[in-house]
Amino acid sequence: MAKDTASATQKQSFEEFCHQAFDPTKEFSKPEALKGVRVLSCTQYILGPSCASYLAELGAEVIKIEAPRRGEAMRHTTPFNEPFLYPLSRWVPERGTGLGFLGANPNEYFISVDFHRPEGQAIVKKLAAKSDVMVENYRPGTFDRWGIGYRQMKEINPRLVYCWLGGFGGWGPGRVRASYDILGQSQGGNFGMTGKQEFLGGAPSKHTIWLADYWGGMMGAVQILAALYWRDKVSGEGTFTEYSQVHGVTRQLEYALPLYGRHGITRQRWGNWDTQLCVHGIIKCGKSSYPGSENPQESEEGYILISAYTDEDFARLCKVVGDVKMAEKYAKTENRVKAQSQMEIYPWLEKWAADKTKEQVAEIMDKANINNQPVWNAKEVANHPHWVQRGAVRWLDDPTFGELLHQGPAYKMSATPPRLKWALKPVGADNELILGKLAGLSTEELRRLEEQECI
Amino acid sequence: MLLTCPNCKTKNFLDPYPFWNFKGTTKCAGCAKIWRIETSSGACVKGPDAADGQPDLLPGFAEKQDYSPISGPGLTRPAPRARKDAVCKPIPIQRNIRGNAVSGRPLKKEDLIGSRPKFIAGRK
Amino acid sequence: MDTPKVPSWPAIPIAKPEEVYAGLSDQAKDYPLYLESITRQEKNFEKPEALALLRVLDCTTSMMIGHWCSSQLSELGAEVIQVEPPGGDPLRKLTPFGRKEYMFKDKESGEEVGGQFLHEMRNKLSVTLNLETEEGREILKKLVVHSDVVIENGTPGQWDAWGIGYRQLREINPRLIYCWVGQRGQWGPLKDKPGMLEPTAQAACGFVHGTGDPKEFGGQPTRSALWMADHVGGTSAAMGILAAVLYRNNVSGEGQFIEATSAEAIIRILDYSWAWYSMDGSIRPRYGNWDLAINIYAVNPCKDGYMMVGGGHDRLWYRIWRTVGDEQPAVEEDILGDLHLRDVTERLAHDMQVKTYTMLGEWLKDNPRSEAERKLSKQQVASGGVLYVNEVAEYPHFKYRGHVAECDSPHYGKILYGTTPFLQHKTPGRLKWLGRPVGYDNEDVYRRLLGFNRDDFARLSQTGVTHEEEEEEEL
Repeated sequence: MAKDTASATQKQSFEEFCHQAFDPTKEFSKPEALKGVRVLSCTQYILGPSCASYLAELGAEVIKIEAPRRGEAMRHTTPFNEPFLYPLSRWVPERGTGLGFLGANPNEYFISVDFHRPEGQAIVKKLAAKSDVMVENYRPGTFDRWGIGYRQMKEINPRLVYCWLGGFGGWGPGRVRASYDILGQSQGGNFGMTGKQEFLGGAPSKHTIWLADYWGGMMGAVQILAALYWRDKVSGEGTFTEYSQVHGVTRQLEYALPLYGRHGITRQRWGNWDTQLCVHGIIKCGKSSYPGSENPQESEEGYILISAYTDEDFARLCKVVGDVKMAEKYAKTENRVKAQSQMEIYPWLEKWAADKTKEQVAEIMDKANINNQPVWNAKEVANHPHWVQRGAVRWLDDPTFGELLHQGPAYKMSATPPRLKWALKPVGADNELILGKLAGLSTEELRRLEEQECI
Repeated sequence: MLLTCPNCKTKNFLDPYPFWNFKGTTKCAGCAKIWRIETSSGACVKGPDAADGQPDLLPGFAEKQDYSPISGPGLTRPAPRARKDAVCKPIPIQRNIRGNAVSGRPLKKEDLIGSRPKFIAGRK
Repeated sequence: MDTPKVPSWPAIPIAKPEEVYAGLSDQAKDYPLYLESITRQEKNFEKPEALALLRVLDCTTSMMIGHWCSSQLSELGAEVIQVEPPGGDPLRKLTPFGRKEYMFKDKESGEEVGGQFLHEMRNKLSVTLNLETEEGREILKKLVVHSDVVIENGTPGQWDAWGIGYRQLREINPRLIYCWVGQRGQWGPLKDKPGMLEPTAQAACGFVHGTGDPKEFGGQPTRSALWMADHVGGTSAAMGILAAVLYRNNVSGEGQFIEATSAEAIIRILDYSWAWYSMDGSIRPRYGNWDLAINIYAVNPCKDGYMMVGGGHDRLWYRIWRTVGDEQPAVEEDILGDLHLRDVTERLAHDMQVKTYTMLGEWLKDNPRSEAERKLSKQQVASGGVLYVNEVAEYPHFKYRGHVAECDSPHYGKILYGTTPFLQHKTPGRLKWLGRPVGYDNEDVYRRLLGFNRDDFARLSQTGVTHEEEEEEEL
């Protein structure tokens, strides 16, 4: 043992220090940042649920309220109708929860309440009276009409941070429009810019995952945390936040709006290349990394990002490819980055990579000290030692559904790490625990409400 | 575009992305007749005319008038698949890829303790 | 060639409340008008800022994740000091296809900045500091005494080796929240693999492989046009920072070390990819503009572009086909008669999706985006066209709510930009200014926080701590 721990710490390599500070296997030996914060999640689909789940990862007690028996709509979504996790609820054991639900609701308590009925609304009020945050994503005005919206809740609990998330926002000409993730992407602007170039016959492309939802949920969580800071540090008061996901998407269009406003130019799709840097694009490698595999995701050709946008890097790239002419022609950044130049440079690189796998290209690039990143599929990511060691993807022993691979939290904290406790629970799994504890319902009342399908 | 085969009445579903603006041949998944068509903005502007040879592009899916499905190698274009043996209907799963228990098959009430499957809740 | 005249924005005037809510009963107007009264951005400056007490040093450079993170905090009121190397962050020089004429010029000095960097320089102060010099690092230590948060993106271990890493700075300011941001991480087997700029992270996390058309449709893995993983990573870093601030204030009194990467932020939100693989070895495929897990829920071509139609449950499914049936009764009849399409989950099979969207196309081909949206909206179906930037900028709903706005910068003139979506009743986010020339705030920040005088400034610029040395020599 070192005599002086302080100096031993200093001698520890930086990587060891980081590994120890962020070790995913030590998460449960540390406190939680949001311990004691209670969040009511009256949400469905992904935008609202994911917002609450990020707080649940940080240790908030998140109570998710769903419709009795069959739960919310997202439980009935799963890729190609294949995998489900059973039971859906103790009342419907022959059906399962689809994987579309997964990732948006970890660490939460699941109760079922029918919002439509006065008895259900009374329960929600009792819970909100004891909560710090309420997240809600029903159509604007629905909760207000039911007497459980911001106007009513702020009277019951002035410290409540009430967060509404949705597509278009609760006011303005489009306020009644329903929305989903890809509608937010379509109308916010990032959809029309993504995908293969028009002149190559390409169409606009959505971002996979429900990106505007999952990222929008993070935006909601940022806003909630800021509101809690203001409440705890300054005012003692809650507030109302409104997040429109289409607004969020428009916020992230980089130079597109300034360019349009100044020059009237509409940013177009530029496929897998980059409008501002060259070489900085994804190219096709002609050979599959797994030619023997029967999985079509593995037998298809590989792709790789090659990034050599400085003059020095590009010169080295040309040396690797063995082309003096290109090195001379495109020696200068300002020549390379032009649209016409890019149209020559990337096909030239793809021709060179036509007889190689993405790993072979990566190895050549690594040796030449040229930045690169193979395009990895889900299996490659899940098994990569880097992501495994960092806990980005990890095996979870879920108390209800058994052993699953699951994503870890998005970021790491040394003192109060966010963590993963369980992936999800069946509909109404925590009715007794939560409604007994917070709404004061007796066993008899619980049974009656259950029989009436009010919970 | 929906191509009802003039020969056998099979409904060939020419899915929108590849067939929205298309000029070439396709093959009826019901009777294997080759049809030359031209589409513009999703509408058929020429054809279907009988043709020969190998089809340029197969339909995405097809069905008979009584809704019985027709799909498969040589008939329709392959589906994107996550696995070799994708079936597109619920599959019972009890073990994950490393052989450990996972609750991926339908249950009965007696399989549960509270809301949890017994074989997960009770396992050592 | 003459540059065409660009019409001023907005080309079509913004609607007035009387027009928007015309014909509604008082009861129907009540809730939207209430929301409008508490969240309209015009009232932002009548309200306090949530993070007004927080000071953040953003020392990141040549990467967007850190800038994105700090803009979230600066929009919510934090004082963000953007620490740039002398001469400015290299990202300032980026412009589409290298076109200088698309850059924004400082009226006074003629210094240029690209639109992407400018768009994230919201409410931030710009100071220059050369951290490669000993004196620069000493100055940073002094700034840290006055700061709540520092964000950096040095190569792994660089700041630690310089004596300004988390281990050293926490001794100077135990309340400091220290956040490192990057593409793949500062520890682990890939820590030294280079690559600063997106789409590096997108490619490394499974996102690119899963986006775009499948090979079976003639497609390939596709990156986001945007440096998307940096945006998601930056937001997740902001989340971690604010959680750490809350814990410090409410519980521990101490700061901590945070690490956020663009790739892991996307891994977190790649929904079921990992669980699906673990259950039966499935590798998430691309599915173009359709959805693996929901039908109807897709973008498909229509008469004048591309149209999103969505209805994940039965009620909406039948409403969509009723709308279609108004014009194409045979299509509705065929769909309703098909037993394979009766159950929500059975519709997810690939064959059923092909049928669904081919049949929907029979209707979409006759309907432009606005018509399709009008007809489907009547049935409360989520729908809308894919909009291009020019359409986004002029979209009536967005203009009315201020999703897009123009700011009049004292340096760069009028700039169209996407406003903060942090609408709020009591402490909303806002824009105070957009963009600053390099080192514009040196004088203010170094005097106010560190008490520098004019001799200090002269010395620092001569020794290359705040200014590029070469420039001095050239003069």
